[in-house]
Amino acid sequence: MQMNSGSDDAGLLERIRRGDTDGAAELFERYAPALLRFTDRMLSDRASAEEVTQEVFLKVISRAHQYDGRAGVASWLFAIAANACRDRRRRERRATVVPLESVAEPRARGEGVEASIASRQRRDAVRQALSELSEEQREALVLARYHGMPYAEIAKTLGISVGAVKTRIFRAVETLKAHFSEGENSWTAAT
Amino acid sequence: MDCRDVTALGIERLTGEAPEAARRELSAHLAGCESCRREMARLEDAWTTLGVDPDAEVTPEFRRRTLGLLEEEMIRGRVRAFRPRPTFARPALQAAGLALAAGLGYLAAKGIPRATAPPTAGGPAAATPAASVPDLAANPRFANVSYRAADKDGRVSIGFDVTTRHELEGRPSDPEVAKLLAYLVAHNAETAGEKSRAIELVSEHFGTANAPASPEIVAALSATLRTDGNPGVRKKAADALASFPVTPEIRAVFLEALKSDKNPAVRLAAVDALAAAAKQSPDANTIQSLREKAVDPQENGFVRAKAASALKAISF
Repeated sequence: MQMNSGSDDAGLLERIRRGDTDGAAELFERYAPALLRFTDRMLSDRASAEEVTQEVFLKVISRAHQYDGRAGVASWLFAIAANACRDRRRRERRATVVPLESVAEPRARGEGVEASIASRQRRDAVRQALSELSEEQREALVLARYHGMPYAEIAKTLGISVGAVKTRIFRAVETLKAHFSEGENSWTAAT
Repeated sequence: MDCRDVTALGIERLTGEAPEAARRELSAHLAGCESCRREMARLEDAWTTLGVDPDAEVTPEFRRRTLGLLEEEMIRGRVRAFRPRPTFARPALQAAGLALAAGLGYLAAKGIPRATAPPTAGGPAAATPAASVPDLAANPRFANVSYRAADKDGRVSIGFDVTTRHELEGRPSDPEVAKLLAYLVAHNAETAGEKSRAIELVSEHFGTANAPASPEIVAALSATLRTDGNPGVRKKAADALASFPVTPEIRAVFLEALKSDKNPAVRLAAVDALAAAAKQSPDANTIQSLREKAVDPQENGFVRAKAASALKAISF
C-alpha cells in the first residue's frame, strides 16, 4: 500500500476540520483508489462499493475532529470503511437485495463479450473463493494481500490483536488453498 | 523447526511478516523436505491466484460525483459550524444582568414607573423555562433551538427562544411534542443543520420504536421531501419517512420524489422505500414507476440499476 507520511495526512484532516474543501478533495485523490479496491472486494459489488466509499469520505468530513492520532490516518480510514462494509452487508442481508451485478446493463451483442469471458471467469473464481471466507477473515486477508498492510497496522485498523490477525489470515489462506487446489478451479496452472 | 510450522511460516513469508532468521530456517527446511516444498508451492499458488482479481478503478464519473458530494458536505459543515462565545462573555453578561436588575430595583423602590422596562409578550421573563408551546398558528420564529435526546423514560426536551426561553419536555409521541417537532421540521428551521436535527429526533423515536408517526409529522416530512432546497435535508426526510409504516400518503410522496427529485441520492432512497413497500403490498403505480426508471436512458445509472434490482425482488 502506498503510505503517506502521517503528519501529511494529519495536516489534511486539519484542513478538513477548518472547512477547506481542497483538503477533502486531496484526501479523496490520495485514498479513494485504495478504499474503493477494499470496499469492492469486501462487497463484491461495484455500485455498493462506490456508495460505501462515498459514505466513508462523508463520514471523514463529519468526524475529522474525532481523529485522535492514535492510529495512522490510513488505518482510521480503513477502519471506517470496514465498519461501513459490515453495516452495508447487514442491511443487505435484512433487505435481501439482489446484487446489482445481476442486473448489469445489457450490452449490445458481440460487443467484446467473448473476449472478456476468460478474464471474467478468472475474476469470478477468485471472488467466489473470497466469498467463502468469513467477513473477518476476508477483511484481514484483503488488507494484507491487496494493500500490503503489515499485521500490526491491520490489528489497529480492525481493533484486534496481532495474534488474531495471524489466525484470521492463516485460516483464510488455508481455505483458499483448498479451494484453488480442487481440480476445476486450479485453472491458474494453465494460465 | 518441523513440518507442522511450515504453513504458518510460509504464510508469514508471503505477507512479508517473517523475520530474516525464520526465512532462512524455512528455506533450509524446504531444501530437505519434499512434502513441505509441495505445501509451500500450494500456498504460493493460492497467493498468486488472488492477484488475478483486477483492482477496481476510480472512474472519472465516480470522481466527479463524489467530489461534488464532498464539496456540498463541506459547505453544509461550514454553515453548521458552531462558534462558541468567548469564555469571558457569560460572566460579563451575568454581571450586566445583575447590574440592570439592581438598577431597575432601585428605580422601583424610588416609585418611578416601570415604563422604561421592555415589554414582554409572555409576561415577565421567567427564571425557569416556560413549559408550554406558544401559539404556532402565529408562525413564531424560534431562535437558539436545542434538543436533548430521550432519557430513560423516553422523554425528549426541546428548548427555544421566542421572547422568553421555552422548554418542552415529553415523549415525541405526546401530541404537543409531536406538533412542535412537526412545526420545527416544516416551518421553523432556517439552516439545514437545524432542520436535519429536528428530522433526526423524529426518526430516532418513530423509526426505532416503530410507533405510528402523527399525521402532522408525516405531512411535515412530506413537505420537506417535496420542497426543501437542500438535497441532504430531503434525503434525511426520505430516510425518516422510509422508517415509518407505509401509508398511501408516504407512498405518494416517494413516487413523486422518484419522478422529479433532482438529486440521485434522494431518488435512490425513494426506490428503496418504494421497493420495501411493494414487497409488502405491490401496487401498480409503484411497479410502473420502477419499470420506467429501470429503462430510462436519461436516468442516473445507479438509480436505473437499483430500480431494476428492486423489481426483481418484488414478487408480482
